[in-house]
Amino acid sequence: MGQNEPVPSLLLIEDDDAIRTALELSLTRQGHRVATAASGEDGLKLLREQRPDLIVLDVMLPGIDGFEVCRRIRRTDQLPIILLTARNDDIDVVVGLESGADDYVVKPVQGRVLDARIRAVLRRGERESSDSAAFGSLVIDRSAMTVTKNGEDLQLTPTELRLLLELSRRPGQALSRQQLLRLVWEHDYLGDSRLVDACVQRLRAKVEDVPSSPTLIRTVRGVGYRLDTPQ
Amino acid sequence: MTDTQGGLRGWTAGRKGNLSRLRFTSLRLRLVVVFGLVALTAAVSASGIAYWLNREAVLTRAQDAVLRDFQQEMQNRAGALPVHPSQDELQHAAGQMAGSSQRFSVLLVAQDPSGKTVYGNSGGINGFALEDVPRSLRAAVNKQQKVTDANKSPYHLYWQRVDEHGTPYLVAGTRLIGGGPTGYMAKSLEPEAKDLNSLAWSLGIATGLALIGSALLAQAAATTVLKPVQRLGVAARSLGEGKLDTRLRVTGTDELADLSRTFNNAAEALEKRVADMAARDDASRRFVADMSHELRTPLTAITAVTEVLEEELESEAGGIDPMVEPAVRLVVSETRRLNDLVENLMEVTRFDAGTARLVLDYVDIADQITACIDARAWLDAVELDAERGTHARLDPRRLDVILANLIGNALKHGGSPVRVSVRMDDEEGADLVIAVRDHGPGIPEDVLPHVFDRFYKASASRPRSEGSGLGLSIALENAHIHGGEITAANSPDGGAVFTLRLPRDASQLTEENGEGTKNDEIGNSGKEGS
Repeated sequence: MGQNEPVPSLLLIEDDDAIRTALELSLTRQGHRVATAASGEDGLKLLREQRPDLIVLDVMLPGIDGFEVCRRIRRTDQLPIILLTARNDDIDVVVGLESGADDYVVKPVQGRVLDARIRAVLRRGERESSDSAAFGSLVIDRSAMTVTKNGEDLQLTPTELRLLLELSRRPGQALSRQQLLRLVWEHDYLGDSRLVDACVQRLRAKVEDVPSSPTLIRTVRGVGYRLDTPQ
Repeated sequence: MTDTQGGLRGWTAGRKGNLSRLRFTSLRLRLVVVFGLVALTAAVSASGIAYWLNREAVLTRAQDAVLRDFQQEMQNRAGALPVHPSQDELQHAAGQMAGSSQRFSVLLVAQDPSGKTVYGNSGGINGFALEDVPRSLRAAVNKQQKVTDANKSPYHLYWQRVDEHGTPYLVAGTRLIGGGPTGYMAKSLEPEAKDLNSLAWSLGIATGLALIGSALLAQAAATTVLKPVQRLGVAARSLGEGKLDTRLRVTGTDELADLSRTFNNAAEALEKRVADMAARDDASRRFVADMSHELRTPLTAITAVTEVLEEELESEAGGIDPMVEPAVRLVVSETRRLNDLVENLMEVTRFDAGTARLVLDYVDIADQITACIDARAWLDAVELDAERGTHARLDPRRLDVILANLIGNALKHGGSPVRVSVRMDDEEGADLVIAVRDHGPGIPEDVLPHVFDRFYKASASRPRSEGSGLGLSIALENAHIHGGEITAANSPDGGAVFTLRLPRDASQLTEENGEGTKNDEIGNSGKEGS
């Protein structure tokens, strides 16, 4: 909560009045600017009017549900999304991650946890070093935080970009899912490895020539993933 | 798999059936024995009587004919002899007498004129001599009886049956009244004996056949009675195995049909009861699930706001009225407890509904335990005996739940230091064994079987503010879903020991569920690329 940092603006989409009010209160106190919407439709409209830095999205919404909202946002936009889900270990999480969410928080959610996740996601977009690296036709420009493939810009979410950056920092070296969770998601030791798997799949869909037989982001069975330079 | 089991069960059932057929007290054997005894008694008495009557009739008839003939011959031939015949005359007469139709041997004894005893025999049987005639018979023949009204003659014809070298003979003798030779005859009864023998054989064979027939009948009767009984037994067994839709086909109106009908009614009633109970159970389970779900929405709001209050408490500005402060603290702490309780309740309902799933990952066990202890600030109170580099494939979140509950429980009830040790069980294969031992007073024996029960409090005096009462139950469920187990015991050196045993690779379990194979799929596609 440094005073010099720009105040992040969030969009909270949650249908329950009490939760919306309470989370708005809590997040505002943590130093965020919070806009709220009570339904998916309202949320999408608000998104067009004012561009937030991040969206906190409830899964169970009247009308179009959180997954659908997530998919619609991802069609045009790569801005980070954190899902508020009801359950920890059921299909909700998997579907949510497949529809493009960057992270998820299980209800009843603690404001501090949500705040930590929000900050971690926002940090992923921050630039760091200023070099660039090439892996075959894939070029990662760390100063501009852009990735091009065959000269074309790739639209990556901050999480996908961070994952690619972490992998590219150690080319040819396998990183375990738990390591990646710490590096990219800044989760504690109990991170959900499904986050990594889902994100790797989305990333492969964007950077690989044939996503089903990857040549860049390889699975190291029993360990995790590594980024290879194609021969 | 089910088929082979069914086959096996069928086979054992069949074998049991055979055994029961052989058992001495079995219904089948008893029926056969009773039928056999009845048949044997009837056949033996019938053939005995028949044989006896037949024998008497045959022997009497043959005997009467022979004796009549002999008497006739004695009168005709021997009577024609002089009172003191010569040897030759006697021999001749004997020969003539033996020539009669009955073919018996004759021995005539007389005194010749010189007073010497002479014998004349028919020679039909070599050596039919006086010695062959039993002494008692000779005495009876030669005994002179008083002549009275009832007894008209001093001498009578006497006979006796003798058995010589296995051949039955009829021997008879008489004396001519008014002097003359004494005559003896011997007639072989062999033909009659042979006839009677063959009769006895036939009767014996008939008895044997009757026995066999009765045994077969008994078998058939036993089968008609026992088959429904056996069907009933099979049905009862399958009912016992939980196939509550087992029913018997009822045919006929006999007692066995009644029994089958009763069985069907009982099975139906049982099925209905079980279905009712299951429905009630489901309903209450759903209620708990729904309730904990519903509780979560207001709880989410309350939790978020409580943190605001908490920060207010911690802030140095002291923004809260000191009078209100205890109330705020209470709300904060109880909200946290309520949160834990609802979270645990939801976890429990997921296990009850069977919707809990494993999310597997390769983890270093020592790292996991260290992280679990570290995250809860237990580092000072816990001794860890584990080497790094022990990897296992399991659900890290669930392992954390188990460890947190076991270690937390040990700290709460046993007191520090809590010792956590990890080892591999190489005997049984790849099992991971984690033991959590405290240095408290141990668990009382009567409490030990209940430590994993939900909401079980070891004693009423124990402060009930700690824990939800679901922790160890959830830990156990989490071990079960991995295919593992947790056992509680008291260490001989004092203190309680909870032993967690998990398979090192839980992936087989998830593959059966069709869930959690995502990593493997990705793994496979990665391999193809290389």
